[in-house]
Amino acid sequence: MRGFASLLSSLAPAAVLKPRHVAGRDSVTHTTLASGMQLIVWAQRDIPSIALYNWVRVGSRNETPGSRGLAHFFEHMMFNGTHVRAPGEFDRLMESNGGSSNAYTSEDVTVYQDWLPSAALESVLALEADRIENLAFVPEIIERERGVVQSERRLRVEDSAAGALSEAVQEAAFIAHPYRVPIIGWPADIAGWTLADLQGFFNSWYAPNNQTLVLVGDVEPDAALQLAQRYLEPIARRATPALELPEEPEQLGERRVRIERSVQTGLLQYAYKAPAATDARAPALQLLSTLLTEGNASRLHRLLVEERQLAIDVGSVWNEGMDPGLFWIYAATPEEVSVHEVEQVLDAELARIASGAIAQQELDRARNVRAASFWKKLATIDGKAQLIGEYELIHGDWRRMFEIPEGWESVSLSKLKDTAHALLESSRRTVGTLEAGIADEP
Amino acid sequence: MSIATARRSRLADQIPLVRVPPHQRIVLANGVAVVVMPRPEIPLIAFSAILRGGVMGDPPGKTGLASLTAGLLERGAGARDFLAFAQTVEGAGGSFLAAAGHEAISVGGQFLSHDQDLLLSLLADALTTPRFEPAELELLRARQIEQIKALKDSDPSELLPSYGRALLFGEHLYGRSVIGSEASLARITHADVVSYAAREIGANRLTLIFVGDLDASALIDSATRLFGTWRRAPSPALPVPEPPLLPGRRVLLVDAPDSTQAYFWIGSRGVDKQFPQRAALDIANTLFGGRFTSMLNSELRMKSGLSYDAKSGFARGSKSGEFSIRSYAETDKAVQAIDLTLGTLAHLKRQGVTREQLESSQTYLLGQFPLGLETSADWAAALGEIELYHLGLPYIEGYGPALRQVRLADAARVIRQVFPDPDDIAMVLIGDAARLREAARRYGTVAEMKLTDPEFFWQVVVPAR
Repeated sequence: MRGFASLLSSLAPAAVLKPRHVAGRDSVTHTTLASGMQLIVWAQRDIPSIALYNWVRVGSRNETPGSRGLAHFFEHMMFNGTHVRAPGEFDRLMESNGGSSNAYTSEDVTVYQDWLPSAALESVLALEADRIENLAFVPEIIERERGVVQSERRLRVEDSAAGALSEAVQEAAFIAHPYRVPIIGWPADIAGWTLADLQGFFNSWYAPNNQTLVLVGDVEPDAALQLAQRYLEPIARRATPALELPEEPEQLGERRVRIERSVQTGLLQYAYKAPAATDARAPALQLLSTLLTEGNASRLHRLLVEERQLAIDVGSVWNEGMDPGLFWIYAATPEEVSVHEVEQVLDAELARIASGAIAQQELDRARNVRAASFWKKLATIDGKAQLIGEYELIHGDWRRMFEIPEGWESVSLSKLKDTAHALLESSRRTVGTLEAGIADEP
Repeated sequence: MSIATARRSRLADQIPLVRVPPHQRIVLANGVAVVVMPRPEIPLIAFSAILRGGVMGDPPGKTGLASLTAGLLERGAGARDFLAFAQTVEGAGGSFLAAAGHEAISVGGQFLSHDQDLLLSLLADALTTPRFEPAELELLRARQIEQIKALKDSDPSELLPSYGRALLFGEHLYGRSVIGSEASLARITHADVVSYAAREIGANRLTLIFVGDLDASALIDSATRLFGTWRRAPSPALPVPEPPLLPGRRVLLVDAPDSTQAYFWIGSRGVDKQFPQRAALDIANTLFGGRFTSMLNSELRMKSGLSYDAKSGFARGSKSGEFSIRSYAETDKAVQAIDLTLGTLAHLKRQGVTREQLESSQTYLLGQFPLGLETSADWAAALGEIELYHLGLPYIEGYGPALRQVRLADAARVIRQVFPDPDDIAMVLIGDAARLREAARRYGTVAEMKLTDPEFFWQVVVPAR
């Protein structure tokens, strides 16, 4: 088979690669601790290291007025001291044990990541258990961290044209669902949280039964379980509030947002309403995004960047979330090109795609490009921990991660066309624009 | 807590040292070096082709030429035009990217192992028969200019090193921006590209590295057939001169009138790749600005809440690159943040580090080192670095033992000798000049330019004590 596949791919640019079995499913163990915390371990001994990802089932979708931006704020506060350890001790001990750490927040989850030498696992689990059980709320520490988050927001939103526009588009795209709120929170939210808001949010969502700990790397599953039983299992289970999310009403027409600021390049962003991650069309939507913008031979890159030279860059992303969300298509435009012109060309092309003008070769290319990124991600303990957690929490079951290539194989050209047709409906999109132009000096 | 503390001293010894997997290196008659490292676990082959020269071959005023030439290698080569080349790479699920650096152009990527022959033929086409079509140059050049403008609109702090190196190193190679500037890119012609390629690209400049699930003997046969008769460049890459060391303080204020924060960069001349005290220096920089609990991040983020991020690092080439510090704060707190930064540097110079800090940094670096050498692509990059800078395998295998052997006196020595005196620095500030102009004068003679200016340097600033 090897020779045959190789010959094919050198003759025909987009020959279909044979789907490969994702190995390792039998090396994964999944246990529910008595505290309700989930423990998923994938032993993998290429390097003497472990990637630890603790997935907390809380993101900006869990926020209400008064608590907006708090999921992200906890991503910061979880490093700021407990009743047992002073602020800074978590990182000091993490690093002196050879580990490093980080965290990120999405609309759906907050993820705490540690990368450590395997010999440090016990120390790191003790640190993780401590901050889940004993987080401290010290007013002066909260004030300091508020300043840090304000600085982060200025970097990513206030001082970034692309960040400012996407925040405005996201807000306009939703009316009722909390996906409208920026993950980092609006400035007034960041300035306004009280100590009671913080305590309430932590008690509600940081219960051990709302967390999934993923360990990938140089670790014996039994040993990992024993350590988890020792450090994490004693943390008391508590009820999490029922999350009653308002249903987003059907969008009845295109929404438009324009922002104005002094810039040398323009921006165009489309946000189409798209299904949740668990939707059966997930593999088709993933391939559609790759088909449109990933790689120099992708459909929109070729058209807008290479042939017409109307864009500096074009990208797309489907936000694979717990609830129906957005599929973004965005472009940055050269100084002398009007965003309006790019919009017309892009719309004409998207209309062609929505009406079925997609070639089998494009689908095959997308499948191969997507598969290559997947294998690349699977080559690291970090990538594995990310994928396992993503599929367990967002897509509903970590086992589905092992079926990803088969999912892409199952997408026929007609299924892809149907998915594109259903998605690319202009009455269900929000358009954001920023025209290039430098304000005159006062 | 007791567990973590008691284990610390032993942990550094428990972390296994990194070994370089077996590999072979041959040199073809025309000077092409080929390095092959089989790693059969995952069915991928990572590759890295290093062409010595890079920005070093850019003529004065035409910075960005190496970068455009590199970009053109994948925009049409051999029998394929740009689109056919991209479709072949992506149709096979491969990746292929060419980029310039200060001392080399590198082409790297990854293919499925059953496409070993395809990978070799694409790489040979790109390196030996690039088309350099004038229309492709026009397109790439226009886009690169617009990309710099887009960065100024959405992520201006990413350009701090470009302004900083120009201020610090001036006309020296290391002072030039790899991607060029809006103005220098606009000056580059098709004849410049052709002449660069004739001068700077050839067999005697090339090292090919392949790592992964490969057939070593077939690969060496193919490489010999495809590259063995390739022409040589007229000369080997020239040695890089040592960059100047300018005493005193220089300040560049880059006006971004709508910016809500002041983004700053503080730099000085650092060390080269061969610097013998590398382990001690990495330990000291880790403590000063290389990890979350570093002195800089503790002061600017954890204790004061002034900034989301503060860090420092060394860029090292065949000669001394820059030591730099980067951070930012709300415009009205810029002075407070910069004073704190310089005060932290002065404190490091005065007080050094403690034994406890030293041990923590040793364990940290030993613990993190294996994570950077996990994949075939990681190994291809590491072997490329070793080849380009003539470092030898001890650069990897000797690093762990060297980290373990660093003593307090070694750390004290590199802090004294390599970290700058706060009075001998170059400083760049990007922000609202109307609100920062007075503040900037506190730190030295100030030159000023606009973020929208098409260059990264304004003029040579007269050093002032």
